[in-house]
Amino acid sequence: MLKVLAALAVGAVLAGVASVAVVNVASPTPEPPNKPLYNYGTR
Amino acid sequence: MSLPRLVPLSLRRPAGVPPLSPRPPGRAGVGGRLARLAPAALGLLLGMLALGPALGPGFVLRYDMVFVPDPPPAFGPALGAGGFPRAVPSDQVVALLSLALPADMVQKALLLGVFVLAASGAAALLPGERTAARLAAAAFYAWNAYLAQRLLLGQWALLLGFAGLPWAVRAAAGTTWRAAGWGASTDGAAEGGAMGGAGCAAGGESSGRWYAVRLAAALVPAAVGGFQAMLVTAITVLPVAALSGPPRVARARVPVTALVVAVLSLPWLVPALRSDAVTDPAGVEAFAARADGPFGTLGSLLSLGGVWNAEAEVPGQGSWSVAAVRLALSLVALAGFARFIGFAGFTAIARVRERRDARVNGPRFGRGLAAAAVVGLGVACLGAFAPGVLRGLIGWWPGFGPFRDGQLFIAPLVLCQALGFGFAVDRLGRVGPAAAAVPVLVLPTFALGAFGRLAAVDYPDEWRRVQALVNADPAPGALVSLPWGAHRAFAWNGGRVILDPAVKMFARPVLWDDTLVVERRAGGAIRVAPEAPAARRIGALIRDGHGPLTSALTREGVRFVLIAQVNENEFLSRLPGARPVLRAGELLLLRL
Repeated sequence: MLKVLAALAVGAVLAGVASVAVVNVASPTPEPPNKPLYNYGTR
Repeated sequence: MSLPRLVPLSLRRPAGVPPLSPRPPGRAGVGGRLARLAPAALGLLLGMLALGPALGPGFVLRYDMVFVPDPPPAFGPALGAGGFPRAVPSDQVVALLSLALPADMVQKALLLGVFVLAASGAAALLPGERTAARLAAAAFYAWNAYLAQRLLLGQWALLLGFAGLPWAVRAAAGTTWRAAGWGASTDGAAEGGAMGGAGCAAGGESSGRWYAVRLAAALVPAAVGGFQAMLVTAITVLPVAALSGPPRVARARVPVTALVVAVLSLPWLVPALRSDAVTDPAGVEAFAARADGPFGTLGSLLSLGGVWNAEAEVPGQGSWSVAAVRLALSLVALAGFARFIGFAGFTAIARVRERRDARVNGPRFGRGLAAAAVVGLGVACLGAFAPGVLRGLIGWWPGFGPFRDGQLFIAPLVLCQALGFGFAVDRLGRVGPAAAAVPVLVLPTFALGAFGRLAAVDYPDEWRRVQALVNADPAPGALVSLPWGAHRAFAWNGGRVILDPAVKMFARPVLWDDTLVVERRAGGAIRVAPEAPAARRIGALIRDGHGPLTSALTREGVRFVLIAQVNENEFLSRLPGARPVLRAGELLLLRL
């Protein structure tokens, strides 16, 4: 029983963090770049 | 020699190794077979969830992942231009598969195959009756920051090797769980002959000569993937082969393993050694592992992230909450792995005998895989914490160039954590199967093509017309792709950055600028000089003032010039005598 309760608690925390992350990322983003050449990346 | 087949687990468990729940050692019938297929099915499900919109009609184009319609088998981006063979033999295999299936379908099959192979492989390193543990390990190995970041960097060929890594470990250690439990395989190694012990775990049905065959078969995905996939595999299977049994077993097995790795590396090794390409040490700074969250570079690497390119991060992964949960999961998984491989002294260092007994009874591949993970983490840290050493090595011999991007070598650490997570989940009892959702919950924004970072698009019609025209021309001669830069961001591809598709479209050498430009967040850019000699020569011509280029390009054996998406007058004025062959959409094709 204790394991089930602990699992539920951990699951709730994970679900909360996941929800916040998804909401943040799903919010509108700026238009992508539209230029002929681009860098390999940013660091 | 007969080996023990079914020995009660309670008799095998040494002091210090946690007890296992009393379940039967195996299942028979349809239910058992379904349980064995469950990890592969989970991998397929996770693949569909991760790829999402990328599974629609068309090609998924992002950074190094450039698939083209009707790819020609004869030339790759490097084979034609004299650079390092980065896409060999992966591009050639794709071209061959595309003879039977449309290239976009081949791409989707390969991408989904990565997830299925990864999940089923991680599960295959755990005992068959431990369904919850196998599912948890499968989910972890198929859904983590490493796989996500490398996919967002377009390195599908590397991921083939990553997905095949558990199978390679299994073959290198000769591990099977067919008839025994967690600790059975080491006994087989100890009691078997030099190579016989390598090839059998429980039952002795495999002879030593099958070791090389099984290993070669397990290394096929890595061999297809090419140099990165094979390097990651090599640093994993060699320690596994060396440490998975008694010394006499290792003495017989290590040379065989090295030989198999070497033979399967020949497709890219031969052109690489014959190439006169050079490696710019500036790449050490550009491609070193970096902090992609609040816990620094080491924290990022332990959380299985740390890729050099900030654009390849999973969206939202750097926030405190997500990064903290990921790091916590990684630490739990590492602790689980330490106990899984029988390192009971992890929590009781002074109990020497207990530790020794536990080591003897750990999984056969445990110590080797742990050693590979340490080595891989060390390589990843080298560029970040001791760049001078790596720069010196590359300056001495360009062959050390692949170690610039050190983060990719943490693949064995990912496998360690996946197995450790599975082992930890096995102790949860009835709630264990639900733990398969944890890897998704700690990195939820990898779903749906990382929220749009991956999507399928069609090439505009003009690209196919140019490809048909150039490939139908029987006259020899190279094609130069302009503007002179390696990467493009087309509007029709949603602005996603990709390697110039012209590099892979044509059945003739393509000369392109393989200079790599990496922007620093602090400002300024790192320019990694081109590797291919032809690129260096033509690049110097193009940058050298505004004079005519036609005769110089002709001397270089150029027949076509393809100009994409720019003001064509910028180049036409420098190409007197060139005849336009096609002008359509964003493309202008010239014949010299």
